[in-house]
Amino acid sequence: MPASFKSLTPLLATIVLAGCGGAQVKLQNPTIPEPLIDRIPISVAARYPEVFDKFVHEEQVIGKEKWSIDLGQANRLLFTRLFSSMFTDFTVISNDADPRDLPIDALIEPSIDAFEFSVPSQSQTDDFAVWIRYRIKIFDSQGTQIANWPIAAYGKSQTTTFGGSEALQRAAVLAMRDAAALIVLQMDKATGISKLSEARAREGVMPQSAIPQEEQITNAATENSSDETG
Amino acid sequence: MKQADLTANTRMITLLTAVAVLSGCVTSRVENVREATTGIGEGEGVVIMAKSYHLGNETEADFISCVGNSIGRGSSGLRVVPHNEFVDALFPWFEPRTAPAETKGLPKLMSRPGVAEKIREKGVRYVVWLDGDTDKVAGGGSMSCAAGPGGGGCFGFAWWQNDSNYEATVWDLSGQEDAGTISADVSGTSFLPAIVVPIPLIARTRAKACNALADQLKVFIVADESA
Repeated sequence: MPASFKSLTPLLATIVLAGCGGAQVKLQNPTIPEPLIDRIPISVAARYPEVFDKFVHEEQVIGKEKWSIDLGQANRLLFTRLFSSMFTDFTVISNDADPRDLPIDALIEPSIDAFEFSVPSQSQTDDFAVWIRYRIKIFDSQGTQIANWPIAAYGKSQTTTFGGSEALQRAAVLAMRDAAALIVLQMDKATGISKLSEARAREGVMPQSAIPQEEQITNAATENSSDETG
Repeated sequence: MKQADLTANTRMITLLTAVAVLSGCVTSRVENVREATTGIGEGEGVVIMAKSYHLGNETEADFISCVGNSIGRGSSGLRVVPHNEFVDALFPWFEPRTAPAETKGLPKLMSRPGVAEKIREKGVRYVVWLDGDTDKVAGGGSMSCAAGPGGGGCFGFAWWQNDSNYEATVWDLSGQEDAGTISADVSGTSFLPAIVVPIPLIARTRAKACNALADQLKVFIVADESA
């Protein structure tokens, strides 16, 4: 076999395989803008489960290609950005921290119940669609669960010139933005989180100054963190 | 020799005429319904949006870009605020789930904290909501292609008809009212004859609808018919 042909073989194989569809998609710096909302006067902490930080969905479309979608840090970015804009005082705590030791009114623990997607070969359209079902658990300052709220978010994007990976990424980001919109619109109504501040005040629990935390996010710091969300 | 040149030229002219005639096989109808007076001042602009896919809209992303680019082009071009920039600045109030579906939702939207200020800051006077899509409504013919060591080629004839139906609804944010609607309905048949080499004669219905809609939008927004 001539040397030039040998060198072309991997390239041709890549082109042929790429043409079969399917890909590994990793969300990099999803665009989650600063929400245009009034803050709820309440002290809130969020605790992200480990799987939430490293969420990867793999699926073999029946009889067709295999897709792997790595959401990476996108969920953490989304919820940190969102909650720090929604509440006057927001902190992210580590998984081993006990919320009862913290001067907070509420603890939020988001998780992903389900992730689904469809590709054009399934829907017989040009669209990639992503469904994400989040679950938001809210605990009061005593660690009692006061809400367990499921959110169904949806995003859709058309196939682009650059292929399906970009469209699927875009659909996933749109689904995450959809979840953010839902949370802004309905969270207080669905969970009654704003009332927890009054409940804690009635209990006469005074805020403490030292917070054992993974990262402290004040409102000022949040305003300076726009570069991390692209 | 001269006879041969003449024959070649005649063939070329025939082919070009056929291309010009067949690729121009498009019919279009553009209509507008005015609901309120319009006009645009210095520093004021428009933003082109797709109606929400939560409402079943299927408008193609490249059609939205095309209308935006066409409206902003030329000496009579309007200032077009990029769709993504506008949606991000007003996050989450113009997401597919939260964007108002009717003008009666505008007062509530404008009363939300920071929304009216942000719209003023962006200089957006009109929001144009696009709805509709391009569909293949008919087709036929057959074509077969083959390749061998000595070369390859195709033989046959295929055709298909596309319909592009789009509607642009113009909202005046300053008056918080529906200014009117412009619709473009473009239909065209594409042909693909092949004698060794396929010759695509494409009816570009979507591009035609884009240009027709954009031209009419510019006139609609700038020139007030009731004035």
